[in-house]
This record gives sequence, structure tokens and C-alpha cells, in this order.
Amino acid sequence: MKYLVQSMIKTIPVLLLITLIVFLLIRVTGDPVSLMLPETATEEERDSLRESMGLNEPLPIQYFSYLGDLMTGDFGDSFRYNTDALSLVLERLPATFELAIASMVVAIIISVPLGILSAVKRNSFFDLFITGGAVLGKAMPNFWLGIMLILFLSVTFQIFPVSGRGTLGHLVLPAITLGTGIAAEMTRLIRSSMLEILEQDFIRTARSKGLRESIIVNKHAFRNALIPVVTIMALQTATLVGGTLITETVFAWPGLGQLLVQSVNLRDMAVVQAATFIIAIFVILSNLLADLIYRFLDPRIKYE
Amino acid sequence: MNNELLKVDDLKVRFKTDEGYVSTVNGVSFSVEQGETLAIVGESGSGKSVTSLALMGILPANGEIYEGAITFEDKDLRSLSKKEYRKMRGDDIAMIFQEPMTALNPVFTIGYQLRETLIVHNNMNKEQAHKKGIEMLETVGIPDSDRVMGRFPHQLSGGMRQRVMIAMALSCNPKLLIADEPTTALDVTIQAQILTLLRNLKKNSNTSIIIITHDLGVVAELADRVVVMYAGEVVEVAPIQELFDNPRHPYTRGLISSIPKIHDVVDELYSIEGTVPNPSNMPTGCKFHPRCPLADIECTKVHPELEYISEKHAKRCIKVKG
Repeated sequence: MKYLVQSMIKTIPVLLLITLIVFLLIRVTGDPVSLMLPETATEEERDSLRESMGLNEPLPIQYFSYLGDLMTGDFGDSFRYNTDALSLVLERLPATFELAIASMVVAIIISVPLGILSAVKRNSFFDLFITGGAVLGKAMPNFWLGIMLILFLSVTFQIFPVSGRGTLGHLVLPAITLGTGIAAEMTRLIRSSMLEILEQDFIRTARSKGLRESIIVNKHAFRNALIPVVTIMALQTATLVGGTLITETVFAWPGLGQLLVQSVNLRDMAVVQAATFIIAIFVILSNLLADLIYRFLDPRIKYE
Repeated sequence: MNNELLKVDDLKVRFKTDEGYVSTVNGVSFSVEQGETLAIVGESGSGKSVTSLALMGILPANGEIYEGAITFEDKDLRSLSKKEYRKMRGDDIAMIFQEPMTALNPVFTIGYQLRETLIVHNNMNKEQAHKKGIEMLETVGIPDSDRVMGRFPHQLSGGMRQRVMIAMALSCNPKLLIADEPTTALDVTIQAQILTLLRNLKKNSNTSIIIITHDLGVVAELADRVVVMYAGEVVEVAPIQELFDNPRHPYTRGLISSIPKIHDVVDELYSIEGTVPNPSNMPTGCKFHPRCPLADIECTKVHPELEYISEKHAKRCIKVKG
């Protein structure tokens, strides 16, 4: 519990730094006013719009007033939708979570058995095939895989819907698209982690006890091999929350990534700031979760 | 020899490496009688640990027995199916290892690891196995064994972990216990405790023990009979008293001479010069000749056979007569 509180406190400077960086970046990369007004607008019109949006103040003042609002949970309003930026972001979260979790499930279903098997049958044809496949899976661009899946499974065979969100069927293709790359990385990681563990003395002990090979591999070895894998899973989950833009675009998935890119393009400052803030919180949370799972998996960590 | 429990006959083990097969055990033969404690002695690299892993049927994936026979209670172990062999491991034949720090799985409790063996071999349910596990921990002298069951390996000392390993190995009443350097990694005081534990086991049960060690002190404490191995071969076999009184092989003599004696004042401890040859680059003739004080030109050409000089005493040397 003490650990949790400490970790929470440590996140505050991280979050502050993120707000500062995002705040500055979005302001140095372009002026929202020039995008909002027609090209023919006069300089006075532009100035008065800037003033009404509070953009004519010096940057430090703008930043501190933004921080002040943030403390009260107010992320400001979207220029484009004229509504509260935070609720715009939160609206997108269920879709994003849905896709992130589904992709992770796909990745786990593929990588756990394949990683274990290719470690157990190391240097066999099967192992070669899987490690080769993992390289391919990692190298394949998401948008290409997504389009191919749509082409075959939606257009030619019409099994799954082409795009959008709604039924479970809508989820399948984007989840496979995102899950494949993660599965490829996790397969390689599980394989190498398993290979290392299978060499350990306690595996020899387990064999000398007359345990079944499946118990030795799936319980004695895998439980240990999982420890480094969890880290990568956490990082990947975090990435899924924030960075699934391409897949979301291919499948017209109404997630956070899509909203974020639209808002960056339109210099919709409040939305960009709210979205990055929420994503940052999820990255921090998933790392924290990984830490907790670590402690659960490896009893040695608790007492040190 | 009608109560022979284990007979190893001309055992040869090889490993597949990048440079082809390397044979590390080259025709080892010995037997263990019921209730007997046999010591296998030799330096690192003499093939003693590989021999024990081969007996257990748990050689690393790149190792294999390519010749010879292992007979345990009239069963030819090499002809057993994987499943039959597995059912014997931990039940009829059990093993303890050199490194107690790494021999237990770090993510499972002591209790879990003890129960596992009992549940697999003795058809116990979890509660029965738990009770038996506590009992076994008490047998090997672990105080507070009820609480130790819930502990993880890293919370115990090396000596305690080795006790747990012994408890685990003995839990199914094995007919043969193979102890591979069980005291090497431990402090001297703990070594003595573990040896006492093994000696009590020897006294109080009919379990046969193969103790593998490089430490002749351990041998003198426990063994009835000794097999001396060098470079994957047996170079001398003798009952314990005879081995110390009348060692025939120059290597055995060297080993015995290198034990420091408490009343002798010497400037430098005796040691056998040179090192164990690399299995992929064995000397011709007698494998010990490059390090042997008695060796001459004949030794470089003739590979001596293991020759019995009395009913129970054998040596592999052409220079030492009788």
C-alpha cells in the first residue's frame, strides 16, 4: 500500500512535465486561428478571435491558467466541437479500451502457445518456422495487414464487416491487425525467456522428481518465464491506448487515436492536451499494474 | 551379489556439440547393493555428474547414452518408456543436487514443491501430502516445519534449502538416493550437519546411496565402497578401508596425498599436476599418463583395462602390479 502511494506521488512530476511539453509543442507548431478563419479575414478579426480564446497572453500566463483549470478538472473547451474537451476524450475511451483489450487477447492467444512450443522444440523446423513468422509479423505494417484482411475477409468472403464499431464482428479484424505485431514480439520474448528458464537447475530438479513434462514446462518454467514478458505486455497495452491511429483509420474505428490526430491537425489545443493527459495516465497506470503483477509472480520482489 | 540394486554396465554417454559428438563417459561399470553407500570420486570433468544424470534419465537435451546398460531391480532402464522412467524418478530413484540455492523453484513455496512429489507418486490428496511434507521436514531437522512449508526458497539459508531438497528426495522412500556433491556449496559447519543427516539415513533405512563428490573427506565419512573416476572412466574400485590403506592407481594415490593432514607440517600441500583432459582431445593410451608420476612410453600406447586384483578391488593401470 505504501508502495502504491509512493508510486502515485512519483507520477506527479511526470504528468506536469508532459502537460508542459504538449502545451508548448501544440503552440509552436501552428496557430489555430488561421485554421478557423477564412483566408480573407483581416488582422483585426484574427486578433479579436485570439483574444477571445486567450491566445494573446504571454505563454507562461497561458500555461499557468491552464494548470489552474486542470486542478479543477477543467481541460478547456474544444474549438471545433465547442464542448468540454475532457468529455470528448472520455467518449472515445470505451472504443479504445475495447480494441486494446481485444488486441491483447489476440496477442496472448497466439504468442503464449507458440512461444512455449518453439522454446521446447528449439532449433526444430517448427521453431524455425515460428521465429521466421515472428519476424514477418513484426515487419508487416499494420495498415497493409488491415487492408489485406478487409480485402479477403470482408470484401471477398464477406465474413466480417469492413469498418466501424458496433457488433463483436466489427472488433475481429482490427484486433487481429493490432494483435499480430504484438504477438510477434511477445512470441520471440516468451521463446527466449523460456529457453533461459529451461536451462535452470530447478527445472532439472523438477525432472528428477518425476513430474510430467507438461507440468514442468507450463508451470515450473512458464511461471518464471512470464516475469520479463509482463513488462512488455504492459508497455504494449499502453501503446495500444494511445497509438493505434493507423489501424483506427483503416477500420474507421472511433477511438482515441483518431480523435487525437484530428485535433492535432486542427490545432484543437484543449482536446490534444486532454487526450495526451489521459493517455499519459494510462501509460503510468499500466506500468504500475505491471509492477504489481511482478510482485505477484515473483515472491522474491516483495521482501527486498 | 544377489541383493544388487543397481548395475551399470559399460555406460557410455556423449554430447552433441558444434564440433560433433563428444564422449564424456566412456564405458563406466559399477554396481550398488541394497543398503550400500557407494561413493563416486573424481575431479570436475571426470564424468561423475553426467553418470548420475544418465542414471536418472535426465541428461540435457544434447546428451545421450549411446552404449551400455543400466539395470535397476532387474529392469533395464534404457528399455523403459519415457512414462515408465518418469514414474520411477522421485519415487524409486531420487536425487539431490550440488547447488541448493538454485535447485528449488523460486516462485513456488517449499510446501508446494514438497507436496508435488507426493501427489504425483503416492496418490495423496493435498492435505495428506501437506501433512507428510511437514513430517519430512521434521525428519531432516527443520524446526518450525509448519511455517517453513509456506516459505519461499529465497527466505531460507543454503543449508536449510539442502535439507528441503533431501526431504523432497526422501519423501517417497526411494530405494536409491543419488547425492551429487550435496555438501560442496555449503559452509563447513553446515556440511557436517548434512553429512550427519545422510549418515543417519544410511543407518536408519535400507536406502542405497550413491554419493558423488570430489572430497575424500566426505567419502571417508559415508561410503562403504568407492569408485574413482578419471576422464570418463573408472580407474579404481575398492572398499573404503582398502582404498585408503592400499590405493593402487596413481591417481587415487594422488587424491589421497592431497588431503591435508592435521599433524603434518608441510610447506606446500600436495597436488596432482596438470588438469583433467578435455573430452574432445583425450590423450592416447592411458588417459592419466600425462599427469602420472609412473608413466613411461608404454603408457602412452596401451589403454589399460580395469583389472581385478582381488574380489572387490580393481584398478586400471599397467604400472602398479598386484
